[in-house]
Amino acid sequence: MADVRIKIYTTPTCPWCRRAKDYFRQLGLPYTEVDVSKDQKGAEEMVRKSGQMGVPVIEIGNQIIVGFDKAKIDRTLGIN
Amino acid sequence: MGLFDIGSMSSDVKEYYDFVIIGGGPAGLTAAIYARRAGLTALVVEKALEGGAVTQTHMVENWPGEKSIEGQALGQKFADHAKHFGAEIHYAFAQKVTIDGDYKVVELDDGHSVRCKVLIVATGTQPRKLGVPGETEFRGKGITYCAACDGYLFKDKDVVVIGGGDSACDESHFLAKVVNSITMVQNLPYLTAAKILQERILNDPKITVITNHVVKEIRGTSKVEEVVIIDNTTKEEKVIKTDGVFIYVGLSPMTEVVKGLVEMNQNGYVITNENMETNVPGIYAVGDIRIKGLRQIVTAAADGAIAAEHAARKYF
Repeated sequence: MADVRIKIYTTPTCPWCRRAKDYFRQLGLPYTEVDVSKDQKGAEEMVRKSGQMGVPVIEIGNQIIVGFDKAKIDRTLGIN
Repeated sequence: MGLFDIGSMSSDVKEYYDFVIIGGGPAGLTAAIYARRAGLTALVVEKALEGGAVTQTHMVENWPGEKSIEGQALGQKFADHAKHFGAEIHYAFAQKVTIDGDYKVVELDDGHSVRCKVLIVATGTQPRKLGVPGETEFRGKGITYCAACDGYLFKDKDVVVIGGGDSACDESHFLAKVVNSITMVQNLPYLTAAKILQERILNDPKITVITNHVVKEIRGTSKVEEVVIIDNTTKEEKVIKTDGVFIYVGLSPMTEVVKGLVEMNQNGYVITNENMETNVPGIYAVGDIRIKGLRQIVTAAADGAIAAEHAARKYF
């Protein structure tokens, strides 16, 4: 497995965030979670990186994926 | 080439189920529970979130037995309940339904094709668009349709909520805990939400309600900055400075998958009889996509139970 970091920006009440986290767990891929409801700096970082204000935002390596876009996640990860 | 070598992730969907249920919200999951308890096999095809749109609701206070429960938690309970009795939930988008004698064939966007004797359509609704300039442009840049998802990103900011029904009022009540101020804009001269929800709004010092005004435009540069509204009576324009816009102006049915196959009205709501049967034998419609008087979790669940029980007796 490549040495790539996965980060998921979330809020506690966002169902898509949970779906995203479930998906990475199901794949067995470790990720860092940034709860933007508590982490103001993390929230600003997310807005800057993604250019928008919706969660979840998923960062895989240098790729930014807005929303639980499974097709895009799969493409980035190389899942067929 | 991707960054990881994970290989294929195909899940094991069988070729045949007694029941295929499109939509994993309260209606579909209740149908699955009743089908399983009748000893029949059931596949729930869900395109997005198990539990359905309920999971995007802040708080549910009218599901009997739960005085107050987060929408996400209740949706998860429904899904866990269906799985407990052996219903299978498969994440995919149902693209097409065809009839093959006594069987229905459902084609999914992941390449699977599933046959069933009974098809239950429980696809639910999606938020209606406001249809004003700026709405598409600023989606995700200050405009959102899910306060429960994105509300925290507007911490201590000034926001506008558009709409005056149950959703608009309940989500405003939730947002008021997070944001600095809320201006609600309602096109009618009054709010249409349940009285208990209206009272919470009217008693909240953070919330200002403007009735009898329509939204003309949402403006900004790189993100939302202001909402232009028009007074229905005087036609006077006003500008509200804002950091975010939450749109709750009703719902429209997601019934494309059976369009042209079952009878529906001009708005896409499906016509059924009291047993939830459509005009096509073996195809049922349940929940918010039906023409009905009250679209609630409790009525959706009731539809699912009625349909599954009826189909189990009639076709098996």
